[in-house]
Amino acid sequence: MIKVQNLSKEFVLTRKLQKEFQTNNKKNIAVDDVSFTCHKGRIFSLLGPNGAGKTTIMRMLSTLVQPTSGEIEISGINVLKEPREARKKIGFLTGSSGLYARLSGLELVKYFADLYEVSPQLFEVRKEKLFTLLGIHEFQHQRIGKMSTGMKQKISLCRTMIHDPEVIVFDEPTSGLDVIAAESIIQLISDCKNSGKTVIFSSHIMSEVDLLCDDLAIIHKGKIIYNDSFEQFKSQMTTESLTKEFIHLIHQQELS
Amino acid sequence: MIFTIFKKEFIDTLRDKRTIITMVVIPVLLIPLLMTISIKFTKSKTEEAKNKALRIGVVNLDSSDSFEALLLKIPNEFGQRDFFKFKDTIELKRKVKNEELDFALFVPKDFKSSVDSFYQSKLKIYFHSGNIGMGFKINYFEEFIKKQMIAKRLKKLQIDEKQINPIEIKQLDMATSKEMLAQIAGGILPYLFIIFGFMGCMYPAIDLFTGEKERGTLETLLTTPVLRWQVLIGKMLVVILSGILSATFTLFGLFLSMEVFQLVEDPKIKDLIYQILNVKFILQFYFIFIPLIVFFAGFIISLALRAKTFKEAQSTIAPMNAVIILPAFVGFIPGIELDWSTACIPIVNVVLACKEMIADTLYFPHLILSFGMMIVYATIAVLFSYKKFDNEGNLFL
Repeated sequence: MIKVQNLSKEFVLTRKLQKEFQTNNKKNIAVDDVSFTCHKGRIFSLLGPNGAGKTTIMRMLSTLVQPTSGEIEISGINVLKEPREARKKIGFLTGSSGLYARLSGLELVKYFADLYEVSPQLFEVRKEKLFTLLGIHEFQHQRIGKMSTGMKQKISLCRTMIHDPEVIVFDEPTSGLDVIAAESIIQLISDCKNSGKTVIFSSHIMSEVDLLCDDLAIIHKGKIIYNDSFEQFKSQMTTESLTKEFIHLIHQQELS
Repeated sequence: MIFTIFKKEFIDTLRDKRTIITMVVIPVLLIPLLMTISIKFTKSKTEEAKNKALRIGVVNLDSSDSFEALLLKIPNEFGQRDFFKFKDTIELKRKVKNEELDFALFVPKDFKSSVDSFYQSKLKIYFHSGNIGMGFKINYFEEFIKKQMIAKRLKKLQIDEKQINPIEIKQLDMATSKEMLAQIAGGILPYLFIIFGFMGCMYPAIDLFTGEKERGTLETLLTTPVLRWQVLIGKMLVVILSGILSATFTLFGLFLSMEVFQLVEDPKIKDLIYQILNVKFILQFYFIFIPLIVFFAGFIISLALRAKTFKEAQSTIAPMNAVIILPAFVGFIPGIELDWSTACIPIVNVVLACKEMIADTLYFPHLILSFGMMIVYATIAVLFSYKKFDNEGNLFL
């Protein structure tokens, strides 16, 4: 389970960043007093336009970025007090994360298993299972730099799951992928849910949300503007499609 | 965990062509090859110049042949010489200017009579300063002519040369061959080690820090339970090892130059070089050199962490080579020695310590102080790089 309470993140803007964002403000509030809960065996979608604060939330959940205020609890562990213990429970996959091109698929997966302190016996069992499931065996010794996007994606998935995490954080996992490569990710998210894991994923692809989502939070300019079950969201829709409803909500928020 | 990261990063680095070129190929092959080519080229040019006859123009307005007789007495110190006679200076000057003549002598018409009557005659020498290396040959001719004329006049005056030349100065060099060699090698060796040590650190540091950030792999790595300082140390050890290996390969390259490319032909000098590069020297050298490489690693990593792209990191760090070259050059300047104050200046202390090691004149407390100071600088650089690595603003694009 993931429990987020009154989470905020402010970034100090250096002169360089002020120029980049074309602002005179010395601080930028990326996440503003956000609270939500992701339950075990359910998929929680974090939806929002670009720059809404999705990635910052995901990075705070994964202990990459320190929150300015608020609390995060992952499987009963306070992330701020015990970040190392929390990381052992998390699997993290983003669409922008790369792989080590000069390593082979097997070397990369083994490297991450070692970093997560997976025992050699357990590694063999999990590797066998994941390699068979994803069809990695044939190209496991190939250098990642010479792999196709689909192959790389499979290695990424295997890397994320090798320590059998309780909580999985997917930050726009399918961005930049074609439908076939994206399919394996969607399948994995679905499998994670079925095996009782807690899944949180951020996206702005409505079809994925429609397919996977159990609970939904919409974030805009760092604030949560909707947080309930996906069923509830669909029942309250005033437009004919998810995309239109999402745009409508954002516009409404802009006007208010 | 540190070892897991180190092992992976080292394998990754060894598979990077750019690093291998900087770390192995350039110091082992390219430098010895370039050194051999340049030394052999200079040698062949010197030989060529030695065998080439000097072309000397002469305008002799004096009717007597005394000056020409004098010219023939000049020993063949610089190989053969050919004299070309001219009637006036117009053609003579043109040929000197066009470097068709190496230099030319103008003898006035009253040359013999002036000399014989104890007056002073004026001899002109035309030369072209663009004709490099000719200066000292002209001086030699000038000195010889002057000496001959003075000797002749003193004889006429029946004066013993010793009467007007009360002292004879004899210079006796007390430096051992090892010390003389240390003056040259003491400049070159530390210079090469420092430059290659720095370059050896540069590419792995950019690849392991900026490169990882750019490729998006750093984010994934930091979500693992490994502590941030462990990640930094694991990676830094690879950067340090690359710097040390690069310098070691430079040493190996010098060995190759002597053994394979026959860079040093004189067996005495060769023996002397091997005497210098003994186990004691190598141990002392690494003792002082390793903290310097740690200092470089910390410094370069801090810069690499600030950059967002590989290109940006390269353009920030590469100019630092110039900053490193300056203190590394100190070894070539005579008169600067390792003392209590120079031992406190980073890079300079390593260069001077290395020079003293080669000359076998190292004062051990100076080495200890240099080592201590380098440890302080290296610690500051490592802590600074940790501060940068711990700053989340530096880790993500």
